[in-house]
Amino acid sequence: MNAVGLLARKEAGELLLSSRGLGWLLAVSVVLSGFGLLLIGSQELSLLDNAQVVYDMLGIVTGLGALLAVAAGADAIAGERERGSLLPLLLAPIPRGGLLLGKIAGQAAAWAVMLVLAMPYLWAVGSTGQNMIGGGIALVLLGTPVALGFGFLALGLGARLGSSRGTLMPCLILLLLSASPLLLGPSLRQSAIGVAFDTVNPFSAALNAYDAVVIDGQGAASQVWHGLVALIWLAGTAAFAGVGIHRLRH
Amino acid sequence: MSIHTLALALALTAMAGTAFAQSAPPTLRVELAADPANPAAPKMGDRLLFHSTIRNTGATPAPGVLAWVGLVQVDPGQEQPVDLEDWSAHKAITVKLVAPGESVTTDWPMRLIAAGHYRVVVTAASGEAALTPSPFVDLAIRQKPVVESNRVLPVALGVPALLLGGLLLRRRHTGGST
Repeated sequence: MNAVGLLARKEAGELLLSSRGLGWLLAVSVVLSGFGLLLIGSQELSLLDNAQVVYDMLGIVTGLGALLAVAAGADAIAGERERGSLLPLLLAPIPRGGLLLGKIAGQAAAWAVMLVLAMPYLWAVGSTGQNMIGGGIALVLLGTPVALGFGFLALGLGARLGSSRGTLMPCLILLLLSASPLLLGPSLRQSAIGVAFDTVNPFSAALNAYDAVVIDGQGAASQVWHGLVALIWLAGTAAFAGVGIHRLRH
Repeated sequence: MSIHTLALALALTAMAGTAFAQSAPPTLRVELAADPANPAAPKMGDRLLFHSTIRNTGATPAPGVLAWVGLVQVDPGQEQPVDLEDWSAHKAITVKLVAPGESVTTDWPMRLIAAGHYRVVVTAASGEAALTPSPFVDLAIRQKPVVESNRVLPVALGVPALLLGGLLLRRRHTGGST
């Protein structure tokens, strides 16, 4: 296994197999469980279509994935610097691009595990099975670039700021802003500002794609524009992180 | 009584009868029926359709006829009129004139918002006709489960339990260190 692979394996192991990683997954599962249990208890929600519940669950999984990516990304470089382990890492025979790849591969593995974790929850709340497979595909295709993009963003910012706490704050604020469509339904985003925000916001792109696929029954392949927005976000943040890593000083 | 007097009496009687008929208030009859395509056991969220027919059975026209749909909940202890705010956007109609023998048919769509037992009624009235309700149409609305608790509960409780078990096992193996 090459150096990049070893780094990716180490990152994934820390994120998934350590007590801290398992704690993260436990926290994610508790959030998803809480949402599922609230759905059972609420009579008001009885008017919702089951597809609406699946859509909500997809949005929550994406939000949690992005949150996990932000935490891992903030720790990836800034955390290494604070622990004093950045210097040995930079001295290791790994190109800077490989370093970025190894770090993000660990986050990708954590996201993949989160997707696996989310599947039983989607099955549990999707009692009618309406567009479940399409929703799952949309989650993989749209949720992945959105979540990993936030990981790249935190990683790049951490490389510049050198402080995981200083990195977390702006990233979390941006994530909250970006994920606000989870709380504000489409009808509340019909103003010119709302439409413009939806057009450039990768989180909105993912949510609108979930809406189209799960609730409206459109094919996942028809969500090209939304996928493009998510990919532009991923490419932009990857470039941001790449430049940040290349400028790293010992 | 001469023949002329008799003719005059008959004419006066006929005129009086006509005048009575023209001054008698119009009579409305309202019928209400559920659409045959409505589900037999409706549940929350379903959209039902009801048809009403308002017929002027009187001999005089009924101007300015107003008809509206009403809904009352009849579950024991919960008897109440229902605010149709969320149930129906089509709550009333007005008809300028219903001629004698004429009938007006109206569709009343309704979205079922809450579970329970209900009675639907359409009532018609005009400035001259008496208030006329239709016969009730009874409605039993079932609760609609959005999620199935027998699917959610095992997952919602089982997955965190599994992860917690894994976490505790991990901590035991590593002696509490991360």
